[in-house]
Amino acid sequence: MKQIQSRLRQTARQLLSEGKVDLLIGYRQGSLPLKTTPCFVSQEEEAVGLVWNSFCTNNLAVYLPGLFRPDPRSRKREEKKVGIVVKGCDCRSVVGHLKEDQVPREDLVIIGVPCQGMIDEKKIVAKLEGKEIIKAKEQDGQILVVDEKGQEIRLAKGNFLRDSCQVCQHPVPPLYDILIEGETARQALSDEYAEVKELEERSIDQRWEFFQREMSKCIRCYACRNACPLCYCPECFAEQSQPRWVGTTDDPSDIMAFHLGRIFHTAGRCVDCGACEAACPMGIELRKLTRKLIKDVEELFGYETGVSVEEPPPLATYKLDDDDEFIK
Amino acid sequence: MTEKILTKDKQEEFLSRLIKVYQVFAPVEKEGNSLFSQINTPEELAEEYRNTKRPPKELFFPHSEALFRFRKGQVLEENPNEVERVIFGMRPCDAKSLTLLDMVFNGKDFKDPYFIARREKTTIISIACARPQITCFCTSCGTSPVSEEGSDILLFDLGENYLVKSITPKGQQLIDSLGDLLTDTQESDLKKRDELIKTALVEMKSEIPTEGLKEKLEGMFDSPIWEKIHLKCLGCGICTYLCPTCHCFDIVDEAVDSEGERVKNWDSCMYPQFTIQASGLNPRLSNKERLRQRMMHKFNYSVSNYGQTFCVGCGRCVRNCPVNLDIREIVKLISGK
Amino acid sequence: MEKKKPNNGGDQPQNRQWQPKIVAFLCHWCSYAGADLAGISRIQYPPNIRVIRVPCSSRVNPLHIIKALQHGADGVLVSGCHPGDCHYGSGNYLARRKFALLKRFLEFIGIEPGRVQFSWVSAAEGQKFASVIEEVVEDVRKLGPARRLVKNSVK
Ligand code: SF4
Ligand code: SF4
Ligand code: SF4
Ligand code: SF4
Repeated sequence: MKQIQSRLRQTARQLLSEGKVDLLIGYRQGSLPLKTTPCFVSQEEEAVGLVWNSFCTNNLAVYLPGLFRPDPRSRKREEKKVGIVVKGCDCRSVVGHLKEDQVPREDLVIIGVPCQGMIDEKKIVAKLEGKEIIKAKEQDGQILVVDEKGQEIRLAKGNFLRDSCQVCQHPVPPLYDILIEGETARQALSDEYAEVKELEERSIDQRWEFFQREMSKCIRCYACRNACPLCYCPECFAEQSQPRWVGTTDDPSDIMAFHLGRIFHTAGRCVDCGACEAACPMGIELRKLTRKLIKDVEELFGYETGVSVEEPPPLATYKLDDDDEFIK
Repeated sequence: MTEKILTKDKQEEFLSRLIKVYQVFAPVEKEGNSLFSQINTPEELAEEYRNTKRPPKELFFPHSEALFRFRKGQVLEENPNEVERVIFGMRPCDAKSLTLLDMVFNGKDFKDPYFIARREKTTIISIACARPQITCFCTSCGTSPVSEEGSDILLFDLGENYLVKSITPKGQQLIDSLGDLLTDTQESDLKKRDELIKTALVEMKSEIPTEGLKEKLEGMFDSPIWEKIHLKCLGCGICTYLCPTCHCFDIVDEAVDSEGERVKNWDSCMYPQFTIQASGLNPRLSNKERLRQRMMHKFNYSVSNYGQTFCVGCGRCVRNCPVNLDIREIVKLISGK
Repeated sequence: MEKKKPNNGGDQPQNRQWQPKIVAFLCHWCSYAGADLAGISRIQYPPNIRVIRVPCSSRVNPLHIIKALQHGADGVLVSGCHPGDCHYGSGNYLARRKFALLKRFLEFIGIEPGRVQFSWVSAAEGQKFASVIEEVVEDVRKLGPARRLVKNSVK
């Protein structure tokens, strides 16, 4: 980890000093324990602030489409080269951007970092059962937490990984300009879709109950959408008013319609980076829904997201012998 | 006003008696999130909580509120009358936030009868914070973990007992009606209370430089500082929706043909749609303008308009921002400290 | 707030037996013409459908379907040209992929199988159109009135 961090800083310094990038998106130390925060570095000297550890959860790809959009005032696009630090999943989001023509490849420098899995802060908070965490750091594969009483608690990192990291098949970024040297020491779960299957096997009423319960927590803050690198539409259907697709009330039906619309828009595009679920302040299990689509896309169309820029998106292409069974 | 003692073994009865007379709202744990919700038995009360994830503003200013029903241009039914309510277990920062919302919804020029009716029919029982969280900075925002402002009754958790202090006549009335459950304070109780106040203030570790902030912001509308701060902001609604003082709303008609409801919904200055005009022009084009608005509104405009900072330092936005864009850091940057 | 029952567009008074209300999105080139043929040929089919003509089955956005369910439709049918017959070449092939996913997804979240259905009906298939409608109405009748996803203001 420490080595990766210093290599990363070194690379960033070099890119900035040689003018190969004008702006570099990475992580720096956050203001709270267990957190890092995205940072935008444009000066060589600022590169020392970059960090790499098990708290680099944010998917920085979310910023890319906005950075390359024309300025809303001048309607011109500023010429700039952007460097971005990516884990495997973040990189696959970038692949999505390239495929969908949201980001110019020539202006992008992808700095891949082999990932060992990121920590789910919510899991650690739950483990501490209400005790406040004052400090946290990483040490030899362990997370060292100091609680409010000054007590030190050692947690095995492997038990607190994000769910999306536990089933990740691509810890090494599939596309990069520079790959930072490092390890990926992790095993994927034996059955990556176990959770989805478990729900599929429940009765229809139980599934509805699950959906209803999750949706009932939603405050409609749209953080799930805004944190998703693929939700880059300048105007989301949820906000269009002519016509208005979804009402803006807290009627459960409107909340569900928003989520069904958003999640279905990610069909065949979602890379399971987990950014939506991580951003949700209410702990809604959004990945159970997005992963259902990932599983079906794989089953029906044999397609995996975020690995190839050239392969056409599954919903923009077809085969003559696609499943027809369900049609009268 | 009076100070009494409620021993903890009587807390259940205290709540049960309240539940018989009032609609009682208290912090509960619902599907993993703490929020204020109506309780029907004392057991529903969340056991250990520092403060709720969702602020209590929604009990006065709900996420969605039907103002009236209409048919073919005729108003059919209006706002139903609210019943008498008690909110138990609010924190001083949130109690303070209600006094700020009063200035908006019950001000000189504009009155929101729906909000006012709820406020009038609600008695607030707060509990002083003995252990502030690392994200609490209320003492920088005109209140404190032991402040009485906005509460009708303030409780101090003394371990075995609560010291019950009435703040307003409304609170006194409620205490009087439950007088048989309360005993007189002893010298030792008062000493314990003073200790609690002292430790609470010492334990408060976080702060922001609000002194002179309003004046500082005065000339900063076009400052280059805004160009950088917003870069990582996602433009979601977490910081405004979970803020106890944010109060922006939008009014829409939910109608089928010519019959329906006029509904007031929460809205957020962090959303692009918030300022879009009929012509299609959006004066706040990017997150830069929107984040500036949020900061200006809280720390400058509201000070001009109401003489108060519209942040009570509850730390909810700090804890819940998905990109750790910490309002305390923004304020520090602005004030150059 | 106490709500009066709004007129949600249904034409059956409360006291009469409940009749399913079905929104049918029919593509202009095939299924709509098929419906037309059924009409001209005086083939009987249940009067429970409300037809919305769309240029192509692939024009139907999942949100159209969700919105119909939100606003009181008991069932939704999307019907287009047979594979190979699309006026635009490949619209129905793309639609087929989209709806294969959507159908599974809606059932995954608890929308009963049968509420949302799909068919291919050509301009020459008046008889098939009638029998598709018959089947869909029967399926939805068995399921009963839609309760899931319906907006409170419509309930
Ligand atoms: S839907 Fe969620 S998991 Fe999928 S790409 Fe978007 S943020 Fe990532
Ligand atoms: S982030 Fe969570 S609470 Fe916010 S809109 Fe999405 S699901 Fe709802
Ligand atoms: S500051 Fe944080 S919580 Fe607020 S809009 Fe930006 S990303 Fe969302
Ligand atoms: S701005 Fe943040 S800290 Fe201040 S009152 Fe609102 S949520 Fe609490």
